[in-house]
Amino acid sequence: MADGKGLEIKTRMHSIEGTRKITKAMGLVASSKIARAKERVERSRPYFQIMYDTLHAIADSNTDFGSPYVKENTAETVCLIVLGGDRGLAGGYNGNLFKKAEEISAKSDYMVLPIGKKCLDFFERKNAEIISREYAVAADLTVGRCFEISRTLCDLFLRNEFHKIVLVYTNFVSMLEQTPADIQVLPLMANSDVAKKETSHSILYEPSGEAVFDAIVPEYMAGLLYGALCESLAAEQAARHTAMDSASKNAEEMLDTLVLQYNRARQGSITQEITEIIAGSGE
Amino acid sequence: MVTFPLQIVTPDGLIYDGDAAKISVRTIEGDVGILARHIDFVTALGMGVCRLDTEESTRYAACMGGLVAVIDGKVRVVATTFEWSDEIDIERAEKAKILAEEIINSDSDQAEKQISQARYRRAVIRLGVSQRF
Repeated sequence: MADGKGLEIKTRMHSIEGTRKITKAMGLVASSKIARAKERVERSRPYFQIMYDTLHAIADSNTDFGSPYVKENTAETVCLIVLGGDRGLAGGYNGNLFKKAEEISAKSDYMVLPIGKKCLDFFERKNAEIISREYAVAADLTVGRCFEISRTLCDLFLRNEFHKIVLVYTNFVSMLEQTPADIQVLPLMANSDVAKKETSHSILYEPSGEAVFDAIVPEYMAGLLYGALCESLAAEQAARHTAMDSASKNAEEMLDTLVLQYNRARQGSITQEITEIIAGSGE
Repeated sequence: MVTFPLQIVTPDGLIYDGDAAKISVRTIEGDVGILARHIDFVTALGMGVCRLDTEESTRYAACMGGLVAVIDGKVRVVATTFEWSDEIDIERAEKAKILAEEIINSDSDQAEKQISQARYRRAVIRLGVSQRF
């Protein structure tokens, strides 16, 4: 058994075992984090949904175009807010998200506000214009920080640094399904088919449409951001859980075949030895 | 009593979803009371007390930031924070108030003072709501 083949298999088994331990541990960590992330998603979803619906209902029946937030413009520069992960090893989570972001950014000039370390790395590599590196750690983002980001972006928007804000994130559909998604945050645009339906219908704004939009929009953006963040974090953990689970399974399968190979090699060498002994004694 | 459907949400979840008879909130323009069959209406919320009357009870809350919208008879209060008077953490609010006061009276920079001013106001409103109701 001192031959090379048995030893080689043994070393491989060792390294696979090590990998399996890591993937198993990561899977366990992810699955314990999922519970909390899922709860957070479920709690933030109504806010996210109602905020979005309300603002769009307002935009649909809007007749007051005084505020720059509702003015349609021929978008030249797009600002992308990309919500990615801090760490890799989460299956296709980051890759799918970046594909989506690239799809959108390919159409026009863009700036980007990356959230998440992987995301920052990706856009740095692409030499994209980055608005801020301050928010590189997605896990640290609180509601307060979302408000901060939102205020900064609103300021830049009003200064005409860009003409459109698109948020790219990952939807947590279920434990097994996460889909990258994008929503246009600003300018607030009516869904054209709904808007045409009822133009006579008007809303009373107190004190004025402009003042209301100016006060609401930063909150709206912060709300969307926070909601998207909750979704993305849960999706990341779910993706990692699935990826690590299948990695552990693969490792186990490999180990099984390697054990078989190892035993065969061992058996082979024993047989050979016996044959040699018998052959020797026969003389 | 005529009621209307009301939803109150914050980032921490759906606080209220049901029928209400009357709700009054502090907006950026002052207090506004909303009854059933209100005209379609949108305004931004300020910081202050919210009073909610349902058929069974009257409840008070500290409500800050966000918007209130009446669309097709449905009322939605989308607030940044919304805490019922009996759920306010008095100790935390007291601490926040004292801390904010210290910063305002110290010689820190203007931006920090402004943030503290807002914190101070929020703490005072929370304390006011929890003590009064």
